[in-house]
Amino acid sequence: MTLAASSGRARAAMAGSIRIGALLPLTGAGGPFGPSMAALHKQIVDQVNAAGGIEGQRVEYSFEDDQTNPDAAVLGVRKLIDVNKVCAVMGLWSSGVAAPTLPICAENKVVMVAIAASDSLALQKHDGYFFRSNVDVGQQGEAIGNWALKQGGKSLFGLLAQNPFSEPMRLGLVNTIQPKGMKAETIVYDGRRTDFRAEVGQALQAKPDILFLGGYPQDSIIIMKEVFRAGYGGKIVGTGTCVTQQFLDGVGKQVSEGIYTVRPSSAVGSPAYKNLQKLTGKTDLDTNVCQSYDQINLVLLAIAQAKQATGTAVRDNMRKIGDPNGEKVDNVLDGLKLIAAGKSINYEGAASPCKFTPTGNLVSAIFETLRVADGKLTPG
Amino acid sequence: MLQVFQLLVNGVMAGAILAVPAIGFNIVFAVLQISNFSIAALIAVGAYAGYTANVLLGLPPLLAILAAFLISGAAGVASDRLALRPLRGYGAIAVAIASLALNMVLENIVRFIFGNDVRSLDVPMMRDWIFEGIHVGPQAVFNFLVAIAAMVALFSLLSFTTVGRAMRAVADNPTLANIKGIDPEKMARLAVFLGMGMAGIAGVLLALDTAVDPTIGMRVVLSVFAAAVLGGLGSIPGAVVGGLLIGLAEQLSTLVVPVAYSSAIGFAAIILALLLFPRGILGDR
Repeated sequence: MTLAASSGRARAAMAGSIRIGALLPLTGAGGPFGPSMAALHKQIVDQVNAAGGIEGQRVEYSFEDDQTNPDAAVLGVRKLIDVNKVCAVMGLWSSGVAAPTLPICAENKVVMVAIAASDSLALQKHDGYFFRSNVDVGQQGEAIGNWALKQGGKSLFGLLAQNPFSEPMRLGLVNTIQPKGMKAETIVYDGRRTDFRAEVGQALQAKPDILFLGGYPQDSIIIMKEVFRAGYGGKIVGTGTCVTQQFLDGVGKQVSEGIYTVRPSSAVGSPAYKNLQKLTGKTDLDTNVCQSYDQINLVLLAIAQAKQATGTAVRDNMRKIGDPNGEKVDNVLDGLKLIAAGKSINYEGAASPCKFTPTGNLVSAIFETLRVADGKLTPG
Repeated sequence: MLQVFQLLVNGVMAGAILAVPAIGFNIVFAVLQISNFSIAALIAVGAYAGYTANVLLGLPPLLAILAAFLISGAAGVASDRLALRPLRGYGAIAVAIASLALNMVLENIVRFIFGNDVRSLDVPMMRDWIFEGIHVGPQAVFNFLVAIAAMVALFSLLSFTTVGRAMRAVADNPTLANIKGIDPEKMARLAVFLGMGMAGIAGVLLALDTAVDPTIGMRVVLSVFAAAVLGGLGSIPGAVVGGLLIGLAEQLSTLVVPVAYSSAIGFAAIILALLLFPRGILGDR
């Protein structure tokens, strides 16, 4: 406790550099996403420093490779906190990485802004130091449930892989559709197996109007092939985690035709999204990049709002920079100018409006519905 | 009742595929008296060899299966020579532990070459045949027939050829076989080649029915080991019986146990086998 308090004081003032950090998946399962997230963070820090920093202080950005691995993540977050003395840790792509590192951040009064979607993170004891730029799994279940209701069917059967997401996903889905009179049945399967005939048989025996795939691409590919072979003729919808390009390549065009996905989307067309398009030079932006943009903007604006680079100050000011009555802001430089001028701001991001519940979840989220046509995801 | 028949059909199909690597595991155990757990990675090696032959070289599935047999067999012999043979003098436990490490090394070599993406073989997707309400997949039938053919070929080799009799002689009594002029080391290499080749065949059969990824072997190895133990370690017919029983048990258990726990059937089978048949159903050691 004493150590935590003293390290908190060491990070307390704006007297030196402002130190922020990120725990990113540069290798492992999240390896395709981490490097672009790190590059964007650095680009924004360079912009801020080139414009004179915050309150005249330079921003120092450090990042560690979490290897999409909890053990490496714990070592990485310890270095960021103990050596780099950061007041906020961003990134945290995987729930497996965020779960063991959140208590370390909270104990050291360091803010965590994570992409990780597992509902259990927000429910952990974190004293308000946790914020999530992504949509939690329960909301994803609700969104899929609302889509199912619009299809007008009478019954849905869900096949959910056994993982930390399955129960909140199931609850979000079932609690959305059952009160409206649609029958919902689900089974949770062990996704590490290679044979899912029994699971598919059980699902199709229920003769559902809609089949819901709630696993990872690896197991869902095998399940989908079985579903096709069995001649299922109803609608099929999967989560964004399941219906990926890898899934589409794995099952092939013939099998994937007509499958839907309802998944969290970025705030496409918003001023922040357009700003990020200019910044990266890309028109089609991955949600991880959009969330990374929001994460670093939120942290830097909260520090400026607090005039203090401590985790507690960031925590206490994270919601103040989303003041509904404030001036709308879509990038950090404009926000810093307005805060310096004593004005109230309302940051609205590239991934979401960036408004948080008391537990750190997003208040509202944006979803998109896509349909597979000729092996590609198209607006559905 | 229809559901029970469906699960029986599914169980026999799945069990026949499981029996193929279980035979591979047992033939190595019979001749070398070691448990070689790198069989999981060699199933993956076979799956990727089949993928390379079928997708990248455009060969038909039967040739892809032959390629997988040869490449997994050769990889098994090479890895045994490099990593396991030097440890044989330290006892079976040391070799078994080393084989677990070898499994990780081989699996990561596969990852390094092919990456983590899930891939599918180039075979047409066909709808199931339906007989009186029972679904039977054409691909599953093809795989079942290949598994039977592979098992018959191996039985024939061991039963009707000089080299097969020599291998069985080494399995029964290596010292006596050596006195009779049979080279135990040569027979050991052949046993590893055949055993791991069978694992390679299983890899392609799984890939044809499902998909290929580096963990394909790890995902079935518990069931394979359970089949080998249940049938009797070192027993070839035992591996077939064990494979079929595990396949059936995994399917039929879904009638009473939630599907999420069906993987536990392998563990339960090992415990039961050790309690009721300490040497396995057809074990002779």
